[in-house]
Amino acid sequence: MKRWALPAFVLTLVLSLPPSLHAQAKDTLTVALVSHAPTLDPHMHFERVGILVNINMFDSLLHRNTKLEFEPSIATSWKALNDTQWEFKIRKGVRFHNGETLTPEDVKYSFDRVIDQTKKSPQYGNIRAIKEVRVVNADTVHIITDKPFPLLLERLVFFPIVPKKHIEAVGDQAFGSTAPVGTGPWKFVEWKRDQYIKLEAFDQHWRGKPAFKYLVFRAIPEIATQVAEIKTGGVDLMRNVSADLLPEFKTHPQAYISSTPILRVHYLALDMRSAPFDKRPARQAANYAIDKGTVIQKLMAGLGTQTATVVQPLAFGFDPSVKPYPYDAKKAKELLAQAGYPNGVDITLHSAFVEFRPVFEAICQMLTEVGIRTTPKMWDPGPAWNKFFQTEGKATNGYYGSWGNYSVFDADAVLHPLYHTEPGGWVGKWYARVEGLDKLIDEARSSVDQPKRKKVYSQIQTMLREEAPSIFLFTQYDTLAISKKVQYAARGDEWLWLYDAKPAGR
Amino acid sequence: MLTLLIRRVVRLVVVLVGVTLVTFTILHVSGDPVSLIMPEAPEADRAALRVAMGFDDPLPVQFTRFLANTARGNFGNSFFHRAPALPLVLERMPTTLLLSVFAMALSLALAVPLGIITAIRRASLLDWGATLIVFLGTSMPVFWTGIMLILLFAVQLRVLPVSGWESWASLVLPTVTLATFSTPLLLRIVRSSMLEVINLDYVRTARAKGVSEWFVICRHALINAALPLVTVAGLQFGLLLTGAIITETVFAVPGMGRLIVGAIRQLDFPIVQAGVFVFAMIIVMVNFTVDLLYIYLNPQIRVR
Repeated sequence: MKRWALPAFVLTLVLSLPPSLHAQAKDTLTVALVSHAPTLDPHMHFERVGILVNINMFDSLLHRNTKLEFEPSIATSWKALNDTQWEFKIRKGVRFHNGETLTPEDVKYSFDRVIDQTKKSPQYGNIRAIKEVRVVNADTVHIITDKPFPLLLERLVFFPIVPKKHIEAVGDQAFGSTAPVGTGPWKFVEWKRDQYIKLEAFDQHWRGKPAFKYLVFRAIPEIATQVAEIKTGGVDLMRNVSADLLPEFKTHPQAYISSTPILRVHYLALDMRSAPFDKRPARQAANYAIDKGTVIQKLMAGLGTQTATVVQPLAFGFDPSVKPYPYDAKKAKELLAQAGYPNGVDITLHSAFVEFRPVFEAICQMLTEVGIRTTPKMWDPGPAWNKFFQTEGKATNGYYGSWGNYSVFDADAVLHPLYHTEPGGWVGKWYARVEGLDKLIDEARSSVDQPKRKKVYSQIQTMLREEAPSIFLFTQYDTLAISKKVQYAARGDEWLWLYDAKPAGR
Repeated sequence: MLTLLIRRVVRLVVVLVGVTLVTFTILHVSGDPVSLIMPEAPEADRAALRVAMGFDDPLPVQFTRFLANTARGNFGNSFFHRAPALPLVLERMPTTLLLSVFAMALSLALAVPLGIITAIRRASLLDWGATLIVFLGTSMPVFWTGIMLILLFAVQLRVLPVSGWESWASLVLPTVTLATFSTPLLLRIVRSSMLEVINLDYVRTARAKGVSEWFVICRHALINAALPLVTVAGLQFGLLLTGAIITETVFAVPGMGRLIVGAIRQLDFPIVQAGVFVFAMIIVMVNFTVDLLYIYLNPQIRVR
């Protein structure tokens, strides 16, 4: 090899580095994400980090405002015509980023490409209930479901409408990587994989122009690095700030914290297949044994709300009259004796929830104090945990978990996946054995009569609290760190709807 | 010489097949990718996907098929990116190599002169200082060093960017981080082999002949002391590549290591397999080069 070959090679590589992006003016809002989704096609992935980008580039039929209420977006109004048929009026004059006008045909096309199973959209499961989308006239579409589907509106809040003509012209592949076109507040500029996605404000957006001209999503896998970026102004917004970082940010000159309760509930699934939790008093004892208030205050920097069951207060169907188990160590001991363990009992509990290790250990200690002597076992999170402890139900005695509802504000979104015995619901399939629960869950999800559903959910929550198939804990908060140059607030659905972000002091 | 080369090439192939076998086995016992690809889907849909991806075949069948494809350079499509795995890995290889080569260059630039000086000035203040550096360097984990450097140079002093891959400046902290990991060992090797050589007869003879001290050290002592250095530097280069995995994550550098870490988390078999294969390939090639260099530096080996 020639002596200069290696240096020349290295030099070539170095010169191929992209030019600096740091010379950004105040018109740019930079957001840190741990990674990017594999594609920008909003129908072809189900990654939270991708949804957060897509919602700013694409509109759906419905929107949810900061109070989490439904609000018109591409659809100006909607109503159920009967149990299985819905009518949506489509907004006039909505433009795609390429200048074309949105028509009901685009709406129909968007649904068809996800319903079409040969496209293998991972979002198919969410809208499986939709049988057909029918264009009625120039501003009306009908959505027909195969059975009553109460979650339809929930599912439509994130169901981006895409341009039919454009996709047919450029193809799915290019649409997802170099040519995404939507109707949202920002349009696509550039995507450097593993580095950044750059968007530019769309002048012709029907809501009006967003406050920031550019929106950049940087992929930074390490949270400590994100924190350093916030402090130096390299990034304006980061997600998932943990409790231990809060004190630092609360006094920071350049950044502030915005936090709000979200649809993520923590629970400890008890294994009802074997002793001691096959006995109801033992399960109730475990619920009385946990001092949730102290855990929230001391270990979660106050960012948590106690819950009576796994149904979150933000979800439809939540019944506030069902009260959380109070902390009562004496009662716990009595119940344990009643279950046949006057001298206590030894158990093992499992967790792979690394961020909440201190909470898990505190819970195990509290159980031990009332006589449920607990050995905590921490496992590596990831595929093996998913396979053995969840999918195959091998976490004997119980495990610590959490559930995020896939951002669906309805009790069904936690009850069905967790407690229904149908495959997929591993708690219901393996750990919980509550007679009659399946029937009630099915009953509530097969009607669009909301008052009736609400009643069934109240019944379920009373039953869950009494039977105590899990130790019910608390809901989590979404905590953002934001640069003081930017005005924005965390949302209960964990969305980053950056149309609402404004430069501070304007 | 030729037989030696042939033997090396055969060994190279055996190592690569071994590496693929081990990765393949570990991946396939680690969990079910289908439940990660479609966690919400009903069992029927999952079973269909399993059949489509060939996960229902016995492991030996799957492995044979995998080897045959690998030989043709086909590692399959990434589950996550839905694109061929090998190009995805190769696309990111230059970044990782650049980082490792720079770190190695920096390490050598520090370790060789420091090693020589500390060997000559044994037990001096500089020698103690170097020992301290060796001590610290070997005991600090890469991610910690990286975060500390970010805090010092990017957050406190604000002279370098925190992370990203945007300009020359982006390269500095990752390179230094990686170098802190490889420098100590190299320094120790240079120092101890210099110490060994420096008191040998031929060095003393050279000195006695009245050759200048500098010439004695560079021309006579260093050439011989370089042998172990070449070996260790080769091994270190492999370690640098693995160190790059962590460094790339800490500094958000778009390299191969970061791609693979993500793929492991997502059970993206094709990416992990292609990635480990490429890593193994680089390491094997480096070792091969080291062997050749060794032969060049020490003619005695050629005789055997």
